[in-house]
Amino acid sequence: MKKVSLAAMLAAGTVALAACGSGSSGSGSDGDIMIGSVHPLTGALAGVGALMNDGAKLAVEDVNADGGIESLDGRKLTLGEGDSKGAADTGQSEAQRLISDGAVALVGTYQSDVTANVSAVAERSRVPLVIDVAVDDSILEQGYKNTFRIQPDATSMGADGADDLIALAEANGKPVETVSYIHIEGAFGQSVFDAFKEQAESQGVQVLKEVTYPGTNFTDATTQVREAAAGNPDVIVATGYYPDQLLVAQAVKALDPDIDALYGVANGAFDDGSFPNDAGAAGENVLSANYHYGATNDEVADIRKRFEAEFGRPMETASVLSYQAVMVIAQALEEAGSDDPEDVRDAIAEIEVEDPLLAFDGPITFDETGQNENATVIVMQTKKGKVEQVFPDEFTTSEPVYPAK
Amino acid sequence: MTDTTTSPPETQPDDGKTRSGRPSLPLLPLGIVGAVVVALLLVYTVGGKDSGLVTQSIVTGLLLGGVYALVSVGLTLIFGVLGIVNFAQGAMLTLAMYLVYQMVDAGGIPVYVATLLAIPVMFLFGVLVQAALLNKLTMADNEEGPLLVTLGLSLLIVNVLLMIFGGRPKRVPSSVEGSFEVLDAIVSWERLIAFAGALLVAGALTLILRGTSFGLSIRAVSANTQGASLVGIDVRRIYAMTFGIGSACVAVAGGLMVPFLSLTPTVGEQFTILAFVIVVLGGLGSVKGAVVGGLVIGLVQTVGALYLPGTGSLILVFAVFVLVLFFRPQGIFGVKQ
Repeated sequence: MKKVSLAAMLAAGTVALAACGSGSSGSGSDGDIMIGSVHPLTGALAGVGALMNDGAKLAVEDVNADGGIESLDGRKLTLGEGDSKGAADTGQSEAQRLISDGAVALVGTYQSDVTANVSAVAERSRVPLVIDVAVDDSILEQGYKNTFRIQPDATSMGADGADDLIALAEANGKPVETVSYIHIEGAFGQSVFDAFKEQAESQGVQVLKEVTYPGTNFTDATTQVREAAAGNPDVIVATGYYPDQLLVAQAVKALDPDIDALYGVANGAFDDGSFPNDAGAAGENVLSANYHYGATNDEVADIRKRFEAEFGRPMETASVLSYQAVMVIAQALEEAGSDDPEDVRDAIAEIEVEDPLLAFDGPITFDETGQNENATVIVMQTKKGKVEQVFPDEFTTSEPVYPAK
Repeated sequence: MTDTTTSPPETQPDDGKTRSGRPSLPLLPLGIVGAVVVALLLVYTVGGKDSGLVTQSIVTGLLLGGVYALVSVGLTLIFGVLGIVNFAQGAMLTLAMYLVYQMVDAGGIPVYVATLLAIPVMFLFGVLVQAALLNKLTMADNEEGPLLVTLGLSLLIVNVLLMIFGGRPKRVPSSVEGSFEVLDAIVSWERLIAFAGALLVAGALTLILRGTSFGLSIRAVSANTQGASLVGIDVRRIYAMTFGIGSACVAVAGGLMVPFLSLTPTVGEQFTILAFVIVVLGGLGSVKGAVVGGLVIGLVQTVGALYLPGTGSLILVFAVFVLVLFFRPQGIFGVKQ
C-alpha cells in the first residue's frame, strides 16, 4: 500500500515537473525570449569565459534597449548563463539545463571539446547553437544541422595565416623561404600547424622544424625556441594559448635568434590586449595572424567603449564574438518572426549579417556545414605597446614593420 | 601521524644519517646523481643533438628544477612531518603569488621586498590553517580528514582569488629583467634568483631542523608523536609551526616565481602533483631530497623534451619516478623502514 502511494506521488510529481517544464517554454508567447550562454566562468579559463559571458550580456541589453524583437511585438531577450567550468561534461549538462529552461538558442563555448558535447545536445534537442569561439574542424564535420560557427576553423586559420605571412613578407621585400613552427600539443595546435604547413609548402616555403610543448607544466620555453631557431629559419611561427605563448615571446627575446619575425597563427597571446604590457620589450613588433574585432569599424569601437564602461575591462576579440553570436540569433528571431527553436535554426541557416563586427572578408553567411563562409584572419602587430592591425590593407590601423626585429 | 603504531618510520624529518646509529652509506643517492651525469654525458656525445641546444636544456632544466625544489621543500615538511597530503600546496602558492602581486601593484613595493613581507603573512596563514582546521583531525589520527580539508581549502582559495582578481592573466613587472650567457646558454636573472632562493631556503630549513631545539622538537614529533608529547613537547604547537614553515616556504616560492609566470587563480595547481612526485622521489621529510628530486625532475623534463617533445617529457618524469620507487621505495634520501 505504502509503495503504491509512493509511486503515485512520484508519478504526480513527475507530471507536475513536466507541466512546469512545458509551462516555462510555453510561456514563450509573451514572456522574455531566452538565449543560453555556456562559457567557462570558473576554472583555469575563467578570465576569458567571464569576458565572453559579459559580451553576450551586453548584446542582450543592446537588443532590448533597441526595442526588443520587433517582429515578435518587441519581446525582450534574456540571457541564461551557464558555467561549463571548462569541462566537457559540465558544459553538456549546463546546455541541457538551459534548453529545458526554455532557451531558444545557445551561444558558446570557447573550448573545442566542450563545444563538441554542447553541439550534440543542441542537435538532439533541435535548438540552434551559434559557436562564438571553438576552433576544431571536427565540430562541424558531424553533419549536425543545428551548429553554426562564426569564427574561422583551424584549417582555414592555418592556411590563411600562411598566405598572409608570405604576402606580407613579399610586400615588404623580404620574402620568407624557411620557417620553424612551435605549437602546443593537441588537436588545436596540430590542426593549425598541419594546415599552415600544407599551404606554406604549396607556395615553396620550407618548414624546417616542428617543435611541440605540453599544455600543462610548461613554465619555460627557452629550449623549445632554441630548438626552433637551430635551423636558422627566416620566421618562427607559433600557435598556443596565452601563458605559454607569452613564455615563447620572452624566450625569443632572450635568445635573440637571427629571424625576420616572430609570427603567431591562431595565437592566444600575441594579439591579446594584455600582451604588449605583459611582454614588455619581448612583445614589440611581434606579428599575429588571427580573427580579430574590426578595429576600423565605428560600431565596434562604440560597443567596446560601452563594454569597458560597464564591466571595467577591455573587450577582447572573444568577447566581441560572443556579442556577435547573440546578434546573429537576434536577427534570426527577427527574420523568423517566431521563437520556435526550429524556425530560428532555419533563419540562421539562411542569414546574411552585413557589417560583421569582426574583420572578415564579407557578411556572415553559413555554408551547409554551418561554417561562416567569410570568416578569415588578419595580421596584427604589437607596435609601441599597442596591438595594431597591419595587414591586409583594408583593415590596417598602422603600417607593418617587417622584418619585425 | 600521531600514533607510533600507524606512523610509517620514513616520516623522518631529516635525511636519517644523523638519527640512525649507523650511517647508511649514501651509495644510492650518489648512484642516482651519477646516473644523471652519465645520462647527460651520453646525450652530449651520442645524443645526436646540437651541443649548444643540450647545454641550454641542461641550464634550463636546472633552473626549472630550482623552481620545483622551492615548491617541494615546503611540502616535504607538511607531508613528511605532519603526514598531511596537502592538496592545497599549489593553491597556497597561488595565494602567495597574488599577495606579492597585490603588494607590488597597489603598494609599489619591489617584488623581492614584497616576497620578504609575504613570508610572515603566509607563515601566519599556515599556522592558522593547521591550528584551526587541521589539528583536531591530525591529533585524532584521522587519515582522510586532513586530505579532504586541504582539497576544500584549495578550492576555496582558487575561487576566492577568482572572485577578487578575475581570471584574466596578471603580471608583475620585474625589477631585474634580462639575461646573460653562460657556455652558449641563456640564463635569465629572474630564474637564477629563484634557483638561489631555493638553495637558500633549503639551507635555512636544514639549519633549523638540525641546529635548533625547535628543529629537534619537529624531528621528535615526526619520529614519535607520543614519545615527544611525553617528554613535554607541545605537539599541537609543533604541528601548527611546521605547517606554518611549509606555508612560508611557499611564500618564498611564489614571490620568486611571480616575475616570470602569468598569474591566474589556477597557476599553482600544475605544481601540486609534481611537488608530490618530487617529495616522494627525494624521500619524505628530507629537505635535501626535495632539492635533489626537484633538480632531477627539472632536468628529466627539459632534456627529455629534446627527444620526447610535448607530454612525452612528462611521461619520462613519471617513468623515472616509478623506477626510483621500484628500486628504492623510501626515496633517494629516505630512511629505510
